[in-house]
Amino acid sequence: MIGIRSAPKSREGAWLWFFKIAAGVFIVILLAVHFIINHLVAPNGLLSYDDVLRYYQVPVVPVMEVIFLVFVVAHALVGLRSIVLDLNPSTIILRWLDRLFMLAGAGFIAYGIWLVVVIVQKGSGL
Amino acid sequence: MNNEKWNVTFIVTRKKGDEAPRTQSFTIDVDPDEYVLDGIERVWAFHDRSLVFRHACHHSTCGACGMRVNGVEKLTCITPIRSVTHDGGTLRVEPLRNFPIISDLVVDMGEMYARMDDARSPQVASVDQSNLGYEKDPEDGGDYERLVDCIECGCCVSACPIALTTPAYIGPVVLAGAHQALEETGAPELLDYVDQENGVWRCHSAYECTAVCPSNVDPAWRIMNLRGRVIGRRISKLFIRA
Amino acid sequence: MQNESTPVNFWRWFDPRNRSIGTWAFILNRITALGLTLYLFIHLIVLGKLAQGPQAYDDFVTLAHTPVVKFGEMLVIAGGLIHGLNGIRIAMTSFNIGTAYQKQIFAGLMVIAVIGMIIFGWKMFGA
Repeated sequence: MIGIRSAPKSREGAWLWFFKIAAGVFIVILLAVHFIINHLVAPNGLLSYDDVLRYYQVPVVPVMEVIFLVFVVAHALVGLRSIVLDLNPSTIILRWLDRLFMLAGAGFIAYGIWLVVVIVQKGSGL
Repeated sequence: MNNEKWNVTFIVTRKKGDEAPRTQSFTIDVDPDEYVLDGIERVWAFHDRSLVFRHACHHSTCGACGMRVNGVEKLTCITPIRSVTHDGGTLRVEPLRNFPIISDLVVDMGEMYARMDDARSPQVASVDQSNLGYEKDPEDGGDYERLVDCIECGCCVSACPIALTTPAYIGPVVLAGAHQALEETGAPELLDYVDQENGVWRCHSAYECTAVCPSNVDPAWRIMNLRGRVIGRRISKLFIRA
Repeated sequence: MQNESTPVNFWRWFDPRNRSIGTWAFILNRITALGLTLYLFIHLIVLGKLAQGPQAYDDFVTLAHTPVVKFGEMLVIAGGLIHGLNGIRIAMTSFNIGTAYQKQIFAGLMVIAVIGMIIFGWKMFGA
């Protein structure tokens, strides 16, 4: 089947792959921190509404959680894209999926930031 | 060699033309210390002359006889029957995965060979460059050349989970060939060739290629090594005019 | 063509028969990736209850103490441990660290994952 050799577009794919791996390593560390702080250090393991709101008043907490969210969402979506790539999609489908991924990513991050802001605001009234 | 005789049923994949692949069973007497390829040849010689398969050197140098034996990629010329079945047992022989089947056990490797040309995969390399760690260098310290380890059998491509669903992935054999060429020539264009979405960045670290390679090529290590070199070159290009 | 993205080949991704340990790593990573992504989605939506006020969140926390949810959380912990630790192996070998021992590294990390699962299981269901 000579002729389906992929025309090499050099430098494509490296950045996404590197980001996925670096984000993954970062996430392993942040996840440990996230889990330990949220469920072992925080009072009562954040199992009540009041505890969560009080906890988010500490400035480093919302900042850390938003950074964590950005990396997790990005890593997950780049990873999903890798799985899709292994299914050999056509260029058109891949282009639309890329748009969908970027939209979903932006959407999740925007939602997360909004939620964090709401929690901080509600907590400041306590 | 003792005259042990086993009775083994070879379950062989058959496919002619556009028909769907099917299996056909042949029960033959074999010497268990013979090789699977010997059994296939006996099936062809005495039972069904329409069976199509590849074979040449019979001593793991040419890479022609790669097939799946009980689902695992092997060079059938060096796979003793004793190691894959028992007296009275069955032996499944299928063509390599991830290549189009031309006929029965023969697959179309044209695309693979063409890509190896693109990767300038060498057949010959200097001894001190391609010797494995445990192989001794020539005692007189001279410059020698040898055939490279890769015999282009295609077993690695058959085992690779990425090659399973996408023909666009360059593939472990080609990446290993590019790595070997890079070791020999240092040509930076080779790094450009592998630095693409269907090149080194597609590997998902399953390491099946290295696991089934009958010739110590270790494609997985070569792919990881290529990644490091590509990244190193891209970083240095930020500082040094290429 | 034998290597196209057909449904048969898709399911073969998850078939470890006749393959070596690296395929287990590949399969586990892929399955946990999909599971964790689903969990991420659910987790983010559930956290939205915090914006609905104390009743919504505290009611959910009560629900979260039921065995079904706890079991689901165990699966998430398992998935996270497996995916994260295997990811460390992938990151290492991708930079040529420990490539020669990647099988042993994988086995060792999975043992750590199992230990982690046992500890979490004990904390959630036992203590």
